[in-house]
Amino acid sequence: MVLTSLKRTLLITNNPLVHEKYADKQETEFVDDGFQGVLKAVRDHVHEGYRLLTHPLSGSVKPNENPYKTVLLARSFANTDADSVMLVEQCIITAEKFEKKVIHDKHLHDLQVVDLSLISEVLERNRAT
Amino acid sequence: MGKFKVVHYINQFYAGIGGEEFADHKPEMRDGVVGPGMAFAGAFGDKAEITKTIVCGDSFFNENLAEAKKTLLDMVRAEKPDVFVAGPAFNAGRYGVACGTICDAVREELGIPVLTGMYEENPGAEMFKDKLLIVATKNNAAGMRDAVPKMAALALKLAAGEQIGASIEEGYLPGGTRVNFFEKERGSRRAVDMLLKKMAGKPFVTEYPMPDFDRVEPNAAVVDISSATIALVTSGGIVPKTNPDRIESSSASKYGEYDISGVEDLTPESFETAHGGYDPVYANADADRVLPVDVLRDMVKEGIIGKLHDKFYTTVGNGTATKSSKQFAAEFAQKLKDDNVQAVILTST
Amino acid sequence: MKLKVGYIEIRDIMTADKAEVRDGVLYVDTKALEAIALEDEHIKSVKFDVARPGESVRITPVKDVIEPRAKVEGPGDIFPGMTTKVATVGSGTTHVLRGAAVVTVGKIVGFQEGIIDMTGVGADYTPFSATNNLVVDFTPVDGITAHEYEAAIRTAGLKIAYELGKLGKNLTPDETKEYDFPSLMEGIKKYPDLPRVGYVLMLQSQGLLHDTYVYGVDMKQSLTTMLSPTEIMDGAIVSGNCVSACDKNTTYHHQNNPVIEDLFSEHGKTLNFSAMIITNENVYLADKMRSSDWSAKLVDYLDLEGVIISQEGFGNPDTDLIMNCKKIEETGTHTVIITDEYAGRDGTSQSLADADAKADALVTAGNANQVVTLPKLDRVIGTLDYTEKIAGGFAGSLESDGSITVEIQAITGATNELGFSRLSAR
Repeated sequence: MVLTSLKRTLLITNNPLVHEKYADKQETEFVDDGFQGVLKAVRDHVHEGYRLLTHPLSGSVKPNENPYKTVLLARSFANTDADSVMLVEQCIITAEKFEKKVIHDKHLHDLQVVDLSLISEVLERNRAT
Repeated sequence: MGKFKVVHYINQFYAGIGGEEFADHKPEMRDGVVGPGMAFAGAFGDKAEITKTIVCGDSFFNENLAEAKKTLLDMVRAEKPDVFVAGPAFNAGRYGVACGTICDAVREELGIPVLTGMYEENPGAEMFKDKLLIVATKNNAAGMRDAVPKMAALALKLAAGEQIGASIEEGYLPGGTRVNFFEKERGSRRAVDMLLKKMAGKPFVTEYPMPDFDRVEPNAAVVDISSATIALVTSGGIVPKTNPDRIESSSASKYGEYDISGVEDLTPESFETAHGGYDPVYANADADRVLPVDVLRDMVKEGIIGKLHDKFYTTVGNGTATKSSKQFAAEFAQKLKDDNVQAVILTST
Repeated sequence: MKLKVGYIEIRDIMTADKAEVRDGVLYVDTKALEAIALEDEHIKSVKFDVARPGESVRITPVKDVIEPRAKVEGPGDIFPGMTTKVATVGSGTTHVLRGAAVVTVGKIVGFQEGIIDMTGVGADYTPFSATNNLVVDFTPVDGITAHEYEAAIRTAGLKIAYELGKLGKNLTPDETKEYDFPSLMEGIKKYPDLPRVGYVLMLQSQGLLHDTYVYGVDMKQSLTTMLSPTEIMDGAIVSGNCVSACDKNTTYHHQNNPVIEDLFSEHGKTLNFSAMIITNENVYLADKMRSSDWSAKLVDYLDLEGVIISQEGFGNPDTDLIMNCKKIEETGTHTVIITDEYAGRDGTSQSLADADAKADALVTAGNANQVVTLPKLDRVIGTLDYTEKIAGGFAGSLESDGSITVEIQAITGATNELGFSRLSAR
């Protein structure tokens, strides 16, 4: 169940499982790109006036082992949210320092499941922001 | 196995030639040990030998950098040592810078392992500790007895191509490279000990100094932007064509102040960038891309802002020391205040 | 709260028809243990193996490590709220089979991680090369979800450790320690001149494969709270965390939390260990704000002079760590934080994903990106199929000679952020 209080939120994801599950319940933008591509899309939205609700480096699976990323944003209370800008930029730098790795197709589904699980924990709970 | 071959670099003072009045001494290479090389020879024992000692005056080195570097590199190249050792320079600033510079060149251009020694506050340490192994020494020559055994041990490891341990184990100044090692006590014990010291106000050493972000609290918002005078400041290197003040393309030592009263648009005929750190094609074709004079003129006309300040300030951010940047900004910030500028748009690249 | 812990030294594990501890040897009845594991309908089969210190054995992919303990006297039982009834533990007497561990192995997801080498260079990086390990390798039934599989292995591991722990119940310990954690006022009266110190333990709580349970409660659903450190010794905190092998806290790490141990060793001498605070590491930024606010509020209310803060995991927990540190420092309380670093293979990248000048006293458990080559070992328990995929392993990391080149983040406990080991960096 997705809550009405999250209506003004925007989900940015490149994870087909997340898109499949939430696209009709919640404004969702599917990014057809890798981990960094999602972070950069998030950054662009932050500059447009969204703020981060979830940490862009959620999950302990390292950025170079997990091509999937989902981040929840909300319309900012003010204009550009400086904390969100700082955080997402820092995350982009942190993610960049990991060496590129080949990820086997056979693991992609598992990685999608974990990413879905992390964001579901947030979306399925009624939490004030 | 034979002895490792070492070339040692020292200045005119440690060579016994003389002090400041002899600092113009030109580079020379002598056979065997000179000055502190004696102590090194003792510490090396039969494992390594200083075959040549290079002597150069501090002034000569620093004032004839290109020539000195070339001469010294040729000398080292000819000798093909297993390791190159410079100093220790303790707290002697120009000697330290010379040791760092020549070590960096020998390592970069000849691929020979290098080592020097300095006091942590020597300007040469600040410049080179992220790139070189610099053994931490006391601040004067009385520290020779401490420094030599540490440097000799590390030099032997370098010559043998052995793995170098963490700074705290080997005695070099911590730089930008993190190296793992096994401590004597486990982490939790070290945390308890550190906390006890911190609570008691005793000195303690953090195991990872926080990077210095130097965050600045933003000023209060401008109340009425439509009547404010706005200035443009850039580290993107925009300068009048031909760069009249010769602002350097990297590691800038100055900033420029230029008049743009009456300038509606920055054209390729009148403005360009001095910046050496990005592709200048688009900035040279239209410098407004970095310093948006055209857009701000429009905003004045539309009544969005009050006025565009007549002068802009510019420098090149490419590798420019934070200290220099701060000093530049302190100067022109005062000028901007004196000119009653209410807000500044800073652009980077 | 007062807990007496009796340690029974275990120097070997062997399989036998009769389960018992005799002359320092733990004899296990794998048939009986198998039956316990198979109580869960999600588990199809289970294999047992023993790995001893110094043996040429590699265990991977490791999920959890658990120490067998038994409640001898006092309320509650080991792993309350998980595999035994909810009841406050942490007082009375507990027996420990020291030197023995249950290591659970199972491929929950494809990129599952964790290597324990019993010999060679890899052994230096994991504390579990020094324990006698009963390795339990689980195969799930078909069509099971990752959530179900994780829960099944987690629970079965706890039950097996519990079963083994009971074997030490009636034995005379080789060593006994007493941990006395007095109430706040008692402590102040007893040690009026000593600085009052607390411990803020951060627990991983992000979601599937990233969870920690406290008395059975999923920690992400809790606010920052308090308990007695002796409760943790009785298994009040259990790991459901399978990711980032080097810096996750296994259940064994919780049971033997070294910060608690080292604070107790100074308790009444140089400091007064007065507060044990646990907090979480959630994905939601508002949760991070709330939980760190709460940590700081508790520390301020308790008027502590200093706290140690320990982290768990990589990346976004750096944000929780810095928030906790900063807010607690702002209450006027001194902090020391324990973390690890991701400084890149060459050690030149920025180590943490967040930083603040107030974090001026930091203990590091080392750079997790450091590369090591682990030699081929004679026997592999589990599977090497996934070595490429484990954190820190990389394409081609399994060499033709059987050696593997990995970042130490693939090794269980290598850069543990409780400060369990001696690895550090400068």
